[in-house]
Amino acid sequence: MTFMPERAAFSVQPAARGALLRELALLAAGLLLLALVIRVHWMADFAVFFILVLSFDLLYGYMGHLSFGHMLYFGAGAYGAALWLVYGNASAWAALAVGLAAAAGMAALLGGVVLRTRGASFALINMAFNEIGHFLVQSPLAAYTLGEDGLSCTADPLFGAISLYEDRWAFAFCGAVLLAVYALLRLLTRSPFGLLVRSIRENESRVRFLGYDTFRFKWIAFVIASTIAALAGGLFTLVQGFVSPRVISPFGNVDVIFAVLIGGAGSLAGALIGAAAFLAIKNFLPVIIPELSRLLDVKLPQWELWLGVVLLLIVFSLRGGIVGTVQARLRNRKPAGEAQ
Amino acid sequence: MIQTVVYGLTIGAILYFFSVGLALTFGTMHIINFAHGMVYTLGVYLFITFLQGVGQSFLLALAASLLAMLPVAWVIERFVIRRLYGESLDYAIIATYGVLLIGTDAIKMIWGTTPYPVNDPVGIAVPLAGMDLPAYRIAVVLSAFALYGALRAFFRRSLVGRVVTAALEDADGVRCLGIDVDRHFSIVFVLGSALAVLGGVLYAPISTADPYMGFHILLLAFAVVIVGGMGNLNGTFFAALALGMVMAVTGRFWSQAANAMVFVVMALVILLRPQEAH
Repeated sequence: MTFMPERAAFSVQPAARGALLRELALLAAGLLLLALVIRVHWMADFAVFFILVLSFDLLYGYMGHLSFGHMLYFGAGAYGAALWLVYGNASAWAALAVGLAAAAGMAALLGGVVLRTRGASFALINMAFNEIGHFLVQSPLAAYTLGEDGLSCTADPLFGAISLYEDRWAFAFCGAVLLAVYALLRLLTRSPFGLLVRSIRENESRVRFLGYDTFRFKWIAFVIASTIAALAGGLFTLVQGFVSPRVISPFGNVDVIFAVLIGGAGSLAGALIGAAAFLAIKNFLPVIIPELSRLLDVKLPQWELWLGVVLLLIVFSLRGGIVGTVQARLRNRKPAGEAQ
Repeated sequence: MIQTVVYGLTIGAILYFFSVGLALTFGTMHIINFAHGMVYTLGVYLFITFLQGVGQSFLLALAASLLAMLPVAWVIERFVIRRLYGESLDYAIIATYGVLLIGTDAIKMIWGTTPYPVNDPVGIAVPLAGMDLPAYRIAVVLSAFALYGALRAFFRRSLVGRVVTAALEDADGVRCLGIDVDRHFSIVFVLGSALAVLGGVLYAPISTADPYMGFHILLLAFAVVIVGGMGNLNGTFFAALALGMVMAVTGRFWSQAANAMVFVVMALVILLRPQEAH
């Protein structure tokens, strides 16, 4: 009997559909709750970051490929969309499509190159390409991208009515895309393809030994992760109406890596929780700390130091991030509970 | 032309000072040590502070900052790096990056974010082939060559150096001989940190000191370590000088492209080199 891994790898189990709907409802409720707590103004940006972190979780958490260059594809999506809006027409859909196509094409080409390496080399060669992309936008392409000054762009309202420059619509649109991305990744990671990708993380030689062309699956996962990152970038452009080389800066990568790790790599819920925790550290500590230090009348360190402390804590005592730690606690309390 | 060459060699020399420690951590422990950038930056800030205390004597302040950084390096090795032994690449990155963030923020808190300029301690220009070359830069280049010679002797002759050289080849093999590799390694780690501080202080008069200087040199030093071959100390020397020249020559014709060209070279080297099994 011949087993056909290629075809079996992309089928979807129908049994998980109910659970998926429940999770989507939970995610939507969580987003609405968050929108009540903080200002709606921030929610579109947060949703964009959530999508970016989810895409990175596929590459790093599920496939075990740590990259320092994921922002290249976020930036390609953002700049692709912005350049279309400025030099093409004002259609938001076309701009998104251009950003996605640009990043997918880049990922397809560069993926064939970077995936020949692994470990530290993979992380650093991606950083090298990201650095080169950052430079291209900043200097040689400055005639189009306006370099360091950045590019302002305006998109027509969606369906002629929904303006993305209104906070609520922006949140609704980005939130809907986030739900769609979550559903897609959830189906993908639970499918045989997802299992294969996770097996590559655990032991690539054995997967190859079973007769799978691992390079092809790594390449597909890399292109998917990069394209979803570009989707986040395109949304960023549409919502902000402005891009600058900061969106493609390699320094953005650490934010994404840490968000995934704080929550717990290799789980979509973990990535989302980590992204929320990271945004809380990054956005609220700079507000709270000056207040607190005025109240206590001492000079307190800024948020970066606290992030550093959190990172050391994760490595040395909270292995597996928030989600992993909670899961381990629950499992210890109920030994009969289902093990992952 | 000569000016470009001297500039390239100066940058290469600084990169070499910084990269030695990074290459050692990479070679023995397979750790990408971001904390190295923090040691470098903190050393320079301590140097600037000591400079006022010792009446602007460059050498005295340098010695004081080196001495002050030894215990800092030891603490990082003992409480962070050593605990990461055998960990996966990513956890090592996160922990050392955490140290870098803490250090950078502490520096911003103590010294503020405005860049500090440092005066050229020699201040003499040597006329060479119709150009005025700062004698200081020539001294920096010569000191890098001297360091290369000294390190070669250290790793070939001294017991610590020979143990570490062997451990770079095969750490488990050395451990099987009953030698405590980690102990020897921690000595070399502190040495590498001191060299980073030395590089930072030597670079300060050419550039300025700012809290993020460690981040910038880290990216370039990764390229040096990759191009030179991870854990290959000879390779690190030649890669540092070669990439320094790449930066200087590119910068002469197209100043914004200097950094990017280093990464082009790095990407090419990763692609053209046969893969190491990991």
